[in-house]
Amino acid sequence: MMRTAHFAACAALIAIPAVAIAQAQKTTRNPTPRAKLAPACTWKPSDAWVKRQAEFFAEAKHDWTNDSLRTALLAAAGLTAPLKAPVQLGVHVEGADAAPPASAAAMIDALNKLAATRGSTWPTRSVVGAAGTHAVFVLASLDTGLGRAALHRMMEAGPAESPAADVATLEDRLRLAWGRKQIYGTQFRRGADGKIELAPMEDSAHADLRREDAGLPPFKFGLCLATRGGS
Amino acid sequence: MRLLVVVFLGAALAASANAQTGKTAGDATKRVSLANETVGREPKVFAPMVGSWVITKDAGQNVLFIDGRVWKRGQPAGGLADKARELYGARNEEFIESIKAFAYYPIAVYKGVDNFENGEISVRFQMVGGTLDRCAGILFDVKPNGDYLTVRYNGTEDNVVLWTFNNGVRKFVNRAATTVPLELGTWHTLKISVHGTQLKSWLDDQPMHDYTLPHPVSGKIGVWSKTDSMIEFADFTVTPASK
Repeated sequence: MMRTAHFAACAALIAIPAVAIAQAQKTTRNPTPRAKLAPACTWKPSDAWVKRQAEFFAEAKHDWTNDSLRTALLAAAGLTAPLKAPVQLGVHVEGADAAPPASAAAMIDALNKLAATRGSTWPTRSVVGAAGTHAVFVLASLDTGLGRAALHRMMEAGPAESPAADVATLEDRLRLAWGRKQIYGTQFRRGADGKIELAPMEDSAHADLRREDAGLPPFKFGLCLATRGGS
Repeated sequence: MRLLVVVFLGAALAASANAQTGKTAGDATKRVSLANETVGREPKVFAPMVGSWVITKDAGQNVLFIDGRVWKRGQPAGGLADKARELYGARNEEFIESIKAFAYYPIAVYKGVDNFENGEISVRFQMVGGTLDRCAGILFDVKPNGDYLTVRYNGTEDNVVLWTFNNGVRKFVNRAATTVPLELGTWHTLKISVHGTQLKSWLDDQPMHDYTLPHPVSGKIGVWSKTDSMIEFADFTVTPASK
């Protein structure tokens, strides 16, 4: 059940081959891919970006303060905690989003109001746990207005409180929405010929440096998942 | 011997005159060369005070690189700003300003100028990355106690802002009215001029600031950045002048 729920959320945000998602959900217990994937599409638990996400999303200490908000966020985002790394693969294909849960709209509204309230406590990791912060990312990805406010709050909170890979993916998504180019290479779209292609991007020469900084997989991994994968 | 005395006295008088006029010895433009620096090592012409500053190559040229990834790996627990809001409510901004004192602002001080009071400073920069910030700044008025001023461009905000740092506390002074989105991986020039208390700044020759400082500038200079910014700097140039 847990895997199914998380699968749905991932599939909604990152339209990647199911087999790669399945591999992601197997986590560290069995890193061997279950189906044939192009080598660039695979990851290992020992990969730095996977370890970094695993570190961030480890919730054994239960050290957050607002359980009810966390529960509501997770429900609205269609997530079930705990989330197993890698949580953010940094691959999103425009138009491939599944319909969000019915409760998402009300939570987006509530988060927008929270963001507009000066001095309000933003749901960061110490408030709603790592899974809760990912839920905020999921919801912020659905609403450009909330996305802007959330991105600002997540940046302000810093990498210990906001998942850097989510911050990077959200920034790419918003930049494209604002008519700018993405900078991490997480956003893809279908070209006129129906093939998936990278959305416009700045400075691809330093992309992997930025992606490493954000705890995202190497660019060729994302490109592989988006364009070839195991299909 | 007599000649030596004359030369010595001449130099002393010149220094005295310069001190009276605020003129820095040697008015010529200094364009800092990194050609003799070692790639992968800290710079020799700049003194990195905070942050991981290394020489790297870009398009075959040596450049000064601030690598914010190092900061991210050593980041202490966060969430203090949110806690401040919880604790202080409407007064949280004051507290957050104190918290910012613990934030991380990499600086590298240029060794070639002891005291910059008037003139121009410019630097070329290229934003490479940074999840939280992409800041490139000119550091000036650096005092022995660590107080300083900086004019910086932030690629996450697309603006140029003058900040002061006093006793470790950062305070906003003035934001240029124009916002300028810059692409990563492209080179740009930030420049300031100081004449008495008049501060002006430019981004790629576009005027940004025309601001009156509360006090004249006097101190060391260098380059500035913030948190996880990854920025390449090149062609740091200083032209001291009389008022």
